[in-house]
Amino acid sequence: MTELRTLALIHAEIDGELDARQRAELARELLAEPQFRALRDDLTRVCGTLEGIAAVEPPPQLRASILAALPPVAAMPAPPRRAAWASAPAARWRYAALFAGALIAATVLYKASIGRGPDANEMAGTMAGSAARSTLIVDTVQVDLGQLTGQARLYRAATGLQLELQLIASAPVDVLVASGGRTQRISGLGRPDSPGGPRTAIALPDPGPGAQTVDLTFLVGGRQVGAAQLRVPAGD
Amino acid sequence: MEEEDDGSLVQRCREGDLKAFDRLVIRYQKPVYNAALRMLRNPEDARDVAQTVFLKVFEHLEQYDPNLRFYSWLYRIALNESVNALGRMRPHEAISGNEIDQTPGLERQLDSEQTRHAIEQALMRIQPEQRSVVVLRHFLHLSYEEMAVILELPEKTVKSRLYTARQLLRDLLLENGVC
Repeated sequence: MTELRTLALIHAEIDGELDARQRAELARELLAEPQFRALRDDLTRVCGTLEGIAAVEPPPQLRASILAALPPVAAMPAPPRRAAWASAPAARWRYAALFAGALIAATVLYKASIGRGPDANEMAGTMAGSAARSTLIVDTVQVDLGQLTGQARLYRAATGLQLELQLIASAPVDVLVASGGRTQRISGLGRPDSPGGPRTAIALPDPGPGAQTVDLTFLVGGRQVGAAQLRVPAGD
Repeated sequence: MEEEDDGSLVQRCREGDLKAFDRLVIRYQKPVYNAALRMLRNPEDARDVAQTVFLKVFEHLEQYDPNLRFYSWLYRIALNESVNALGRMRPHEAISGNEIDQTPGLERQLDSEQTRHAIEQALMRIQPEQRSVVVLRHFLHLSYEEMAVILELPEKTVKSRLYTARQLLRDLLLENGVC
């Protein structure tokens, strides 16, 4: 028997893949060749120890941090199947017309809202909704402050620059958002049980032609626990 | 209650159901984290890789081939991400497995905990592609057929790579008087 054949039989024995004939063949070889016997014993011990190394539990916050870091729902992969009516040419036009109408309505609403400007420094975050479709991610930072984890993301939507916060914390979180010379306060974030989950999005003032930063300050229980900065590249 | 199968959860994810994705995270976070941990040894790096893996899965669900088992696709991403993470490590981090105690082995009496520790260190001294097959076989308990699908290699090559890896581990342990 060749050395390769013996080695293959040894490994197959360890894997529990030998039939009776192969087992007898290996037994004869091991009896005749003590060095293979030693090798078989060593490999059996190594593999036994490998098998005996218990799997460890992942960090308890792993699941929450994965969920908090998911991109906006708008970026979810599209369902592979489309409704049958949407595949008909006439229906496609109907679909496009609906989309165009929604886009015009969103633009009119947005123009009306930026004309008024915010009434107060404090504002509640708005849940990310269908307006966030067709997004372009501008910058993302991970937030890992122990008691507060998640992610902050800047993206460009049809209605302009948006900040999305996905935060999970044991207590309500306030975030101060400073950009374009204006500071907004978003209150009551970070509760996984809040309607729509831990995701919140707000519109930001349009950046000028130069690079711009968005400074975030995180407060838990009124106390500052950390800060982060997002960047809007020049010309974005 | 009967567990919902992976395929159906993936389908629900594709339809925008985040709860279905959460079910997949719950189901697979442990093997993905452990695979990364055995590849990288550092728990923080393993956590980062596990997070990246699930995010990539989420972002590329439309590319998932339903003819493949979901976990095969997931573990392939986990191994690739682990190897990428190894490539990004600074040299002193990547070779941390070389800290094996060089004390002559004959006088050393190692209990099973020390043997386990020595094997973990030896694992870091073999090539990542060899470590990958050890992780798939001995930590994720996959068949050769499943390993071949994940690694996109012929089954024969997978076996050969695993046999080599086991023998290298044995040689490294012998070298250090553990075996």
